[in-house]
Amino acid sequence: MGQGNVKWIGRKGSLFKKNLMITQMKVRGLMIDPHNSSYVVLLQCEESQEVLPIWVGKPEASAISCALEGLSSPRPMTHDLMKTLVDSVDAKVLSASITDLRNNTYYAKVHIAYGNSFFAIDSRPSDAIAFALRAEAPIFVSEDVIQKHDDEEVDRWLENLKPEDFGKYEV
Amino acid sequence: MIRLKVHGVLDDPNTENHVVVLRKEEGFEVLPIWVGSVEGHAIRLALEGVVPPRPASHDLLRDIARNIGLVVTRVVVTDINENTYYASIYIKANDSEYSIDARPSDAIAFALRVPCPIYATGDVMKHRAGETLDVWLKRLDSHNFGKESMRFNCDENPSRSA
Repeated sequence: MGQGNVKWIGRKGSLFKKNLMITQMKVRGLMIDPHNSSYVVLLQCEESQEVLPIWVGKPEASAISCALEGLSSPRPMTHDLMKTLVDSVDAKVLSASITDLRNNTYYAKVHIAYGNSFFAIDSRPSDAIAFALRAEAPIFVSEDVIQKHDDEEVDRWLENLKPEDFGKYEV
Repeated sequence: MIRLKVHGVLDDPNTENHVVVLRKEEGFEVLPIWVGSVEGHAIRLALEGVVPPRPASHDLLRDIARNIGLVVTRVVVTDINENTYYASIYIKANDSEYSIDARPSDAIAFALRVPCPIYATGDVMKHRAGETLDVWLKRLDSHNFGKESMRFNCDENPSRSA
């Protein structure tokens, strides 16, 4: 797992090496779970097309969707503030990584470089993703999480999706 | 510069928004600021000392500052322009001080978690909301007071300062 391991910083290509046990994923989109009207962020591995759905709250979904669509609000939103805070002292957001899945809860970390040190800060995946998108930092998912993720459950969920569920969310 | 404390968070019965009531540490002067429901909730949680099982957005903001060693000295409500309040967060790092533009809601939610003092400029206190306290208090339905979620303490007559 990449946590605490800073060797890969700045060398994006090397991140795909399987021995590091993390996979870079992109935010493919946001959608509404038709079963309970909650919001889902779809992460997708560009190489394997593997998809990881992560359920998030409405405010965080809105924060992610603003970043995806490149919308900026007249006043800084909470995740914009995070970025301003980091930028103001010349710290750098290196990545967001989804590190664990326990009891149906995903855990994430935000990796920041400041001065000569590196920091891994515990976060919800939703905040980490919203933050990473604004900082244009890569998003990684540990292989462990992908394995733990119950394929059967996703398949069942995907089977129930209708095409019109895509793109149906409010900013 | 006037030091304020967060007196409470009210529900605005007319909208889904919340009203954060800042009050002068000594005296009755209050500064009501309308905030979104998400930020209002974040402020309320901090006031009540609720620690969520997973860090919420403002907890992450605090954790970022804390982890990388930034010292948050204060937040200041700096300006009001066309009914929009502006705030700044002041941080110290490497012997320099930085001020960061923020919405007052984020600044307050952050300040309560750090914790650090909250101020408003004298100018803001003079021009607050463009109306008197009596007017906005009247707009709030009396039945909103005393609800479980209400933390507004009506022990003094706020109109004394209006």
